[in-house]
Amino acid sequence: MSERSVRLLAPEGTEIGLTLASVPERAIAYVLDVVFSQLLLIVFLIVGFLAAAITASEHVLALIVLGMFVIRHGYFLFFETRFQGSTPGKRLLRLRVVSRDGAQLGLDAIVARNVMRDLEVMLPIVLLVAPEAAIGRAPGWLAYPAVAWLMLVALLPVLTRERTRAGDLVAGTVVVRVPKSELLRDEARGTRATRLRFTREQLAVYGEHELETLAQLLRSAEAGKADDDDLRVVATTIARRIGFEGTEPQRTPGTFLRAFYRDQRTELERNLVLGRRIADKHERKNAPGRRD
Amino acid sequence: MTDRVSDPMRVEPRSVRFRAEREAEWSELEQMLDRALSSGLRGLSEDELHRLPMLYRSAVSSLNVARKTALDRALVNYLESLVGRAYLAVYTSRRPERGPLRRFFFERFPAAVRSMSRELALSTTIFLLGLLVAYAMVRVDAEWYFAFVDPGLASGRSPGASTEFLREGLYAPQHDGLSIFATSLFSHNAGIGLLAFALGFAAGVPTALLVFTNGLMLGGFLALYDERGLLIPLLGWLLPHGVPEIGAILLCGGAGLALGRSVLAPGARSVRDALVDAGRRGAVVAAGSVVLFLIAGFVEGVFRQVVTHDLLRFALALFNAAWLSAWIVLGGRALVRRRS
Repeated sequence: MSERSVRLLAPEGTEIGLTLASVPERAIAYVLDVVFSQLLLIVFLIVGFLAAAITASEHVLALIVLGMFVIRHGYFLFFETRFQGSTPGKRLLRLRVVSRDGAQLGLDAIVARNVMRDLEVMLPIVLLVAPEAAIGRAPGWLAYPAVAWLMLVALLPVLTRERTRAGDLVAGTVVVRVPKSELLRDEARGTRATRLRFTREQLAVYGEHELETLAQLLRSAEAGKADDDDLRVVATTIARRIGFEGTEPQRTPGTFLRAFYRDQRTELERNLVLGRRIADKHERKNAPGRRD
Repeated sequence: MTDRVSDPMRVEPRSVRFRAEREAEWSELEQMLDRALSSGLRGLSEDELHRLPMLYRSAVSSLNVARKTALDRALVNYLESLVGRAYLAVYTSRRPERGPLRRFFFERFPAAVRSMSRELALSTTIFLLGLLVAYAMVRVDAEWYFAFVDPGLASGRSPGASTEFLREGLYAPQHDGLSIFATSLFSHNAGIGLLAFALGFAAGVPTALLVFTNGLMLGGFLALYDERGLLIPLLGWLLPHGVPEIGAILLCGGAGLALGRSVLAPGARSVRDALVDAGRRGAVVAAGSVVLFLIAGFVEGVFRQVVTHDLLRFALALFNAAWLSAWIVLGGRALVRRRS
């Protein structure tokens, strides 16, 4: 499944793009959380029954019953409230719950998305394993539509564009990946020393798409993933296409491409400021008023 | 081939200068966010906490400029993720307001209940309908009793039992295991209440059924005890905890029906918006109901077992009804008025 992103509207009026968590990521985080909460429950029960044995008090047993309820319903609630929408499992996978409207994640939304979990997880399991426990003395055929419906609910994250489970739909939330940021080298920087020069007409051949492709090529050359021969092929192609005269594309393809990239970006960004956006070379060809 | 520096083409792309001017600020923000990720916002100094929103806003404006004027995809991508991280830190990590729980239960809960009064009336109607149907049917033929009341829950209270046995069940004081009894009742009932809300997602139908069957069960009980002339004692036994408990069931049912209505008839809004609205309000109602279940469990498990006088029981029932309605009718109103 490809990466999907969601755009939230920040209070500043700017759209903020966040990458959605994938279904496997969410499933793993959930399984981890189930394991953690069960461990917590086991520790709690051991301590509780020890205390009950020592004090021989029924009140301690009552507290155990209460504690089980609190752990069962409160685990997600506590962590998502206290740690900005991330439970321990989500934290390990760098996931986070955010409100779909871009506002702060409220207690009501956290309650809503977690109350729905019984419907999504527990009920389908109960219906599959022991249907009579869920539908009681209702007619047996009722189990079929019930199972179908609950399976549909369980599969919602796979079916919806934003991978929202029923709890997310009801709470108005999405689960996103906490973004990582890394600023790559600017390929147009530090090329001042070249003596190469291009005319406006030469720079007017390509558009933004070709510019970005060229940036990627230069970046992979930087990383050692493309060598001089690769660059030479591209450099001579471009030189032929724009009618560049000289031996630089053959001799120093890297320098040539860098200079061309820098100058072309300067030109395209200048156009951008003037409100002219040129997507790619085809748009160039069709652009009215261009003198060839 | 001459190197003419004055050539306009020799100027660097705007985005290069743009980046050079702002890069220091971005990396300052980035480092701050790195630390906030590992140790929370507490890892930041007072000074940095003030600087964070400022740096965030400046990064937002950088992103806006870059989206419009820069053709360096790497730069735009970087700013997108930086702003995303900063946004999460600034807008989702704010320290909780003071007394959020108090506000939740004393303002938002009653307000949410009032906002779904129609659904609450509907769930009450469905409940009463179940009650009347079961009552009438059991009065006609006692055999129907088992169709409505789970034998496991009835624990011997059936048409076959003697009137004396039934009366004893209402008054026999119990002292053992009361607190366990009370907490088990609470967690069982609260679980069902939460489920009644969640089931509203299936267009409200299962919620309505759940409320209806609860009404059937109560109707069966009422018919059985009424037949033996024990209606008043039963009500005295039932109402002290029944007021918060049945109230909570009706509230959860109403919240579930509101959820179902948002699926079936979202009105002018999209289903998604309607669902979120009903879901969030319903969650507030369901969470408040859990507190009601807790109170009901306490009354049922402890108070009522100790107090066996009918009059005192009715007094408690009345008292419970009074604070519950005051809570829902008045809760949060004074504050809303003060604000406006």
